[in-house]
Amino acid sequence: MDKKKEPLKKEKVAEDGLTKKERRALKVQVKKTEIQNVIQVNETIVENKPNPEKEKQKQNVSHKTNDTPNDPPVSGKLLSDKELRKLEWEKKLTDQKTKELESVKALSKAELKAKRREQQESQRSAKTSSKVEPTPTKTPSVNIKQSKTEPKKSPVQKQIIRKTIPIQRVQLVQHLYIDNSSESNDKNSILHNKVHPAFVRLGTQYSNKNVLGSNARCLALLAALKQLVDNLQTPPKQEFCRYLETVLKSCTNYLQNCRPLAVSMINALRNFNLQLTQIDTNLNDNEKRIKLQDVIDIYINDDIRKAGEAISMRVREKISDGDVILTYGCSSLIRKILLEAHKDEKKFEVIIVDSRPLLEGKEMLRRLVVAGIKCSYVLINALSYVMNSVTKVILGAHALLTNGYVMSRIGTAQVALLARAYNKPVLVCCETYKFSERVQTDSFVYNEIGDADLLRTTHTSETESPLSKTKDMNKLMPLNLLYDVTPPDLVTAVVTEIAILPCTSVPVVLRIHADEST
Amino acid sequence: MEGEKVRQYFCKIIKEDEDVSVGVAAIRTLLEIIKHSKSETVQELEANLKDAISQMKNSNYTVAAINSGCELFLRFITLASLDTRDFDECKKIMMDRGHLFIKKLDDSRGKIVKLASNFIGDGSRILTHSRSRVVLQTLRKAHKQNKRFEVFVTISAPDNIGTRMCKDLEAEGIPCTLILDSAIGYIMEQVDFIMVGTEGVVESGGIVNKVGTNTMAVCAKEINKPFYVLTESFKFSRLFPLDQQDLPEEYKYTSEVRKSCDLRKIHPLVDYTPPSYITLLFTDLGILTPSAVSDELIKLYL
Repeated sequence: MDKKKEPLKKEKVAEDGLTKKERRALKVQVKKTEIQNVIQVNETIVENKPNPEKEKQKQNVSHKTNDTPNDPPVSGKLLSDKELRKLEWEKKLTDQKTKELESVKALSKAELKAKRREQQESQRSAKTSSKVEPTPTKTPSVNIKQSKTEPKKSPVQKQIIRKTIPIQRVQLVQHLYIDNSSESNDKNSILHNKVHPAFVRLGTQYSNKNVLGSNARCLALLAALKQLVDNLQTPPKQEFCRYLETVLKSCTNYLQNCRPLAVSMINALRNFNLQLTQIDTNLNDNEKRIKLQDVIDIYINDDIRKAGEAISMRVREKISDGDVILTYGCSSLIRKILLEAHKDEKKFEVIIVDSRPLLEGKEMLRRLVVAGIKCSYVLINALSYVMNSVTKVILGAHALLTNGYVMSRIGTAQVALLARAYNKPVLVCCETYKFSERVQTDSFVYNEIGDADLLRTTHTSETESPLSKTKDMNKLMPLNLLYDVTPPDLVTAVVTEIAILPCTSVPVVLRIHADEST
Repeated sequence: MEGEKVRQYFCKIIKEDEDVSVGVAAIRTLLEIIKHSKSETVQELEANLKDAISQMKNSNYTVAAINSGCELFLRFITLASLDTRDFDECKKIMMDRGHLFIKKLDDSRGKIVKLASNFIGDGSRILTHSRSRVVLQTLRKAHKQNKRFEVFVTISAPDNIGTRMCKDLEAEGIPCTLILDSAIGYIMEQVDFIMVGTEGVVESGGIVNKVGTNTMAVCAKEINKPFYVLTESFKFSRLFPLDQQDLPEEYKYTSEVRKSCDLRKIHPLVDYTPPSYITLLFTDLGILTPSAVSDELIKLYL
């Protein structure tokens, strides 16, 4: 503030016709005279300070007397530097006052107003200029992001949308929203950070939901990881594995921003990082590369492929002739199990339950029908209608949590609950690499939010959805959660590659895995 | 020792010693086979044992305990790593292990009795089903501790073995009432808790036991009476029935019946009681909740 005021002051000083030097000279004079009329001065102080209006009357009084009230009664003694400065400052204040008074005298009211406005404006412009400057750097980034997604909109419209987003957030799951601004920043940072192109592609595939399902996502991640290991060139004076670690970290951060990592991916990455630390440092880069790729291949083969086969075998034993099997959505593992059971010449029917907005079950239906399995297809609202005729419910899982809860695509808990109510056995198929140490008892603590706009459209009718024009309505807050958790008492058994287990055995399996890896 | 001889030996053990359960008898038989085996290699011996196991399963005893006991035996006596190269030495090691194993099994019942008898208080009214040696011993022990309690025993059709249980208890001087199987619901509100033995404990923590146990467990759950299961840990088996239908047929019917009749018209010998109906399992490993069974099994077999 002081800095801004000073230039103004100088101007005024110029108006007065007094420079600093002149004033100082004046001051010295004043002090000399002061000694003579201390008493007079003290009187004027009393008169002056309480009501400044009187000053107006005293305008005729000479400069000297007008200045005097500011001088403290120390007069007569030698003035120290400090006191001098204090005096000076006080004088400035009074100067301002007198100048105002003088200007009142000189200028009409209108002129005064104009002047004030001028001052204010100049102040304002000074303030804003310091803040405005960074904005031009920001706007291009916004524009870039926009041109990628929706090239038609102008930056102005974009700003409006950005403002409305936080209003449309559902309070209960406020913490689950990914911050848009940080996302855009990170997207720009791809160029600067060492994110491998394979991961960039993977990121867009994740965010566009081209790669769906925790198995598929994990496999895609491991494929990208293999590519990264293959292409990575260590900069001089750096160890291959340590460098890979840092690069991988930035890559996973990028992926995390595209879409939160699945539990399967987190576990796969953890396994890889563990192997990375255990690798023999005496090997050269190429050997390390080969070894790491082997590690990935073994993981894909043992923990994902063979586990899937083992599970398929176990479930096949449980499927008997005449069974009616209900499944929900599209899980790659369940599809595999059903197809193999069919190849095994088991005679069973399948009811595929599906739900909006993704309607993944259609793909499941297509594949099973092509294979020649007798299928029915219902939406989740018709579940209670078909549940009576079902003999077994087989579900896929996104993750199994330590407390035995099953995390899976949203709607699974509902299916399990209804199956429980109808007393049908519920089998959850899940490889042990999807077991997680996390504990969760509801779906809100941790979840993922999908595109809420999908809820506003309809796939079924040709007429436009009544919700399609509600996008800018602040009071309508559609919420598209992707996962839910199913409590263990709704699940009869979990089929893993190790054994068929009750849900409550998850911590034991995790403990065994931890023992094996250390 | 082969074929018919194995079966005869097995049946002889059970007939001679009243207190021996089917599972222990099976394990003793296997030990006897190792003792008299003329085989030269471990593989051959193993094949012999497996053959004997299938012979025993075909005898007219329930399969659950035979299965789990033999599986455990194979896992810990013959399959466990043998350091020496000499086959005779191997055989000796196996025998030693086997005897140790049998001794442990004999001890286990004592442990269970000790744990479970504490749960019987003065004035308790206990309901039990069928005839279980370990339940009988527990009740005897509690009686010797001068606890006064009353027991209700179901007749347990089809073999009406409950009448024998009732006689055994009366011989000890324990007040005892024989009830009809169909009176379970009637008597349930009068009892304090249920104590049953079992033929097999499955991976889910549920049990496979004489038919009627499930009925009792469901009734007990409805009236909120604790349902206790007394079992040796060698009866834990790696099986996960989803429901009654899913229980293997060799468990439900004797081999004779399986061969001859239309199974849909035959009563099963056992039923499956899901873990949600069971309060606690008293085992030689300690007092377990049903969910801990699977933990123990994972520890044993993985």
